[in-house]
Amino acid sequence: MSSVASGTTGTSGTTLIRIESLVKQYTRDTQVLTVLDNLSLTVDEGDFVALMGPSGSGKTTLLNLIAGIDRPTSGTILVGDRQVSSMSEAALAKWRSANVGFIFQLYNLVPVLTAFENVELPLLLTNLNRARRRKQAELALSVVGLTDRMDHYPRQLSGGQEQRVAIARAIATDPKLLVADEPTGDLDSKNGEEILVLMERLNSEFKKTIVMVTHDPKAASRAHRLVHLDKGVLKEDVHAERGKAVGIAAAISASSS
Amino acid sequence: MKFFPFVFKNLFRKKTRSLLTIASILLPLLVICIMGTLLRTLESDPTGGKGMFRLIVRHKVSLTNWVLESYMPKVRQLPGVTDVVRMNWFGGAYLDQKPENMFARFSTSDAQRFLEVFDEASIVQGSAPDWISDRSGVLAGELLMKKYGWKLGQKITLKGDIYPVNLELTIRATFKGPDETAVYFHHQYIEEALPRVKGYVGWFWIKADSLAAVQRLPKEIDAMFDNSSVPTRTETEKEMQNGFVSMLGNIKLLVTSIGTVIVLVILLIAANTMAMTARERVTEIAVLRTLGYPKGTILGMMLGESVLLALVGGTLGALLFVGLFPGFRQGVLYSPMGGFAAGMRLFPEVVALAFGVSVLVGILAGIVPAVRSAQRSITDGLRQVG
Repeated sequence: MSSVASGTTGTSGTTLIRIESLVKQYTRDTQVLTVLDNLSLTVDEGDFVALMGPSGSGKTTLLNLIAGIDRPTSGTILVGDRQVSSMSEAALAKWRSANVGFIFQLYNLVPVLTAFENVELPLLLTNLNRARRRKQAELALSVVGLTDRMDHYPRQLSGGQEQRVAIARAIATDPKLLVADEPTGDLDSKNGEEILVLMERLNSEFKKTIVMVTHDPKAASRAHRLVHLDKGVLKEDVHAERGKAVGIAAAISASSS
Repeated sequence: MKFFPFVFKNLFRKKTRSLLTIASILLPLLVICIMGTLLRTLESDPTGGKGMFRLIVRHKVSLTNWVLESYMPKVRQLPGVTDVVRMNWFGGAYLDQKPENMFARFSTSDAQRFLEVFDEASIVQGSAPDWISDRSGVLAGELLMKKYGWKLGQKITLKGDIYPVNLELTIRATFKGPDETAVYFHHQYIEEALPRVKGYVGWFWIKADSLAAVQRLPKEIDAMFDNSSVPTRTETEKEMQNGFVSMLGNIKLLVTSIGTVIVLVILLIAANTMAMTARERVTEIAVLRTLGYPKGTILGMMLGESVLLALVGGTLGALLFVGLFPGFRQGVLYSPMGGFAAGMRLFPEVVALAFGVSVLVGILAGIVPAVRSAQRSITDGLRQVG
């Protein structure tokens, strides 16, 4: 896990993600559908970015492209010093396992594995021995406050706890970048709030760069940068002081609906 | 290896389905073990190699035609021949004509020679002299003794059919050997009752002194009687057994065909299970791939699960067969087919075949779902709900 920081927020000023002239098109029968249209964007290390926009605006597609699970039609995506848009599939898989943590709306835990085993999943791909894997998974679970639930199966956990296990899984390999797709979308407000607090902590304390897709202005207000997409085009890119972005997020959300 | 616990837990994700699939593999593999053992038994040499030195001389047309007793001294003089003993199939009935009371009944002319030619047989109860010295004495296989609860000294009656004479026989000795489901008695006893059969022999056995003699003698003997009114056909014991087996039809083809159908059925069942498993886990597999699991690892895990499922079924099937084998063997040996099953034992190659079939079923059933799971795009997988 990255060293614990003082708790201050803000970016390091170093660019972690550089996207240039990104185009993503899908072909359905003979029709070509442009989901992202000549999009350029940079995200600094330590940034907490909320991607907002109406359904079909290309938020999740952009997230997938940044995370290296989808390929652009044209344009480049540079994450750190790696151009993910041109890496082979095998290289991408290896890169993802070390550099990207995923948080999904529906948690997507493996039901037959305990919380601990779920968190250990990405660590199985590393060269760590069993003892080191255990230590690392326990550390990740302690960060999300679920050490006492590590032997529980997903069905024995609440939605909020499941999402926290999913976050522990995302940070188990200590990646620099966390991508989250509607992480509070399936939670009630109390649990959603807890998850957002946790994500804020991962950003501020553990210096994780977070790119989060959300429809929820409350969730977006936790970010210190709001990127508004509409029809695959960058409509707004607003830097806001954490906690004070709620008005902007609400405005974006209102314009998206 | 570190993925094994994950694969194992996935195997029993849907316990009822997995257990039913395992049962559907287990039972056909048990049948494959049974059929494989029967087939292997028919092909086996129950004499432990001693039968390699034996030849049988019979009428060229068939075993039901007799040859002449006068051939025997001529054959005995041939170089490479150690001993010659005659034998006749008495047939008849014991108790009744029901198939379960059918067993082999042979008459022989020289009991001492018989024991020398079939030297893999050993006397268990009574003695060779007891049998040899009693004109109505009978040498009975141990299995028959157990089956009918016979005791030494007991009288048994065989009702004749080929030979129209009823024989009152006394059990004077019992033997253990490759085929313990037969009785042997003195041909002289039949000849006394039916003088007209004198001079005729069902067939005679030859014991050769070497494998070279075994190869040479058939041509030599058959050439001796080729132009007579009773020509002969000389063949090895193995050839004669194969001839009997072929009378049952093309058993090998039949068993192989049934086995192939069984394998195809379990393949379809296992493939269906694996396809359902893969379909249910589309999102989960996509999540694993987002975590960095390479296609090859996903493929290996899915395939491993399929092979493990089939192997569990195969292992349980093989273990069940091993457990049931003693009862199965006894059942077959006590049946009218007992004479063909003398060489029946637990053949390691049959059990290995069952394991091989399991692995093959596992690979074939899992390969398509595994490849499709590994090849599916991550974003498509994540879009699926459930």
